[in-house]
Amino acid sequence: MQMRLFIPREHARVDDLNASLEAVLANNGVSRAIQCDVRLIVEELASNAIEHGDPTRVGAEEHELCVDIGIREHLLTLEFRESGAAFNPLDQPPPDLDADILDRPTGGLGLHLVRQVAEEAAYQRIGNYNVLRLTLRIPTEESDA
Amino acid sequence: MSLSIDIHPTGKGSQRVTLAGRLDTHTYEDLDEALAPLMTRQLHSLVLDLSGLEYISSAGIRSIFKARKALAPHGGKVLLVNPQPQIQKVLDMVKAVPLNEIFSSTAEADAYLDVMQRKVLRAGEEDDD
Repeated sequence: MQMRLFIPREHARVDDLNASLEAVLANNGVSRAIQCDVRLIVEELASNAIEHGDPTRVGAEEHELCVDIGIREHLLTLEFRESGAAFNPLDQPPPDLDADILDRPTGGLGLHLVRQVAEEAAYQRIGNYNVLRLTLRIPTEESDA
Repeated sequence: MSLSIDIHPTGKGSQRVTLAGRLDTHTYEDLDEALAPLMTRQLHSLVLDLSGLEYISSAGIRSIFKARKALAPHGGKVLLVNPQPQIQKVLDMVKAVPLNEIFSSTAEADAYLDVMQRKVLRAGEEDDD
């Protein structure tokens, strides 16, 4: 299974994207737990792109976020593509999770979650695009504890 | 599916709020707005019942942090009750909640609050001015 979805850079559309992805995953027998992981990754990456992307550097025809999703045997792959200034989400410093819970900065949590949830993640700058490829393992019936 | 927020009647400085659905980029502002008027100096514990919560993202975690920061100056706490596995996993990944502020049932949280309440009363009697 392989499909590509585009959405405008708007928070409200991210929910639509996730609804579509959830339906696709459910149809392919992917568990609720993995559906939640995918939702988390997509929400965090899309929100990040919408909030921090510089609209002046995003061309009108490239104003969309693009997500490719593929399921092959026990691997689920997500490719997230957006135009704009080069930004490697995997390069950001991790949040200080051991600081006093009341003084902790609350930024960087989303990208930290993405890195934690994905089994593998790789960033590439291709032309004007930031491309992030993520892999999640889909537990088989037997190993699904 | 969005977020449903059920605010229970306030009792003795403790407030229970039941959440169901998704706490994320699209719904955290609803929670912030619903909680804001409850965050008074009199509130010593906000109990968030998460039994029906199915999904949380970093936006939702920031709302919980925000509530905790609002209550902290006068010693108030945010307690979380019965988070589902996905919620627990996300909370753990960002070390969002100290273990002593998470409970498996509302009864357990109530028992903890009773103990805290008695401690506060006793301390109040001791240094009465």
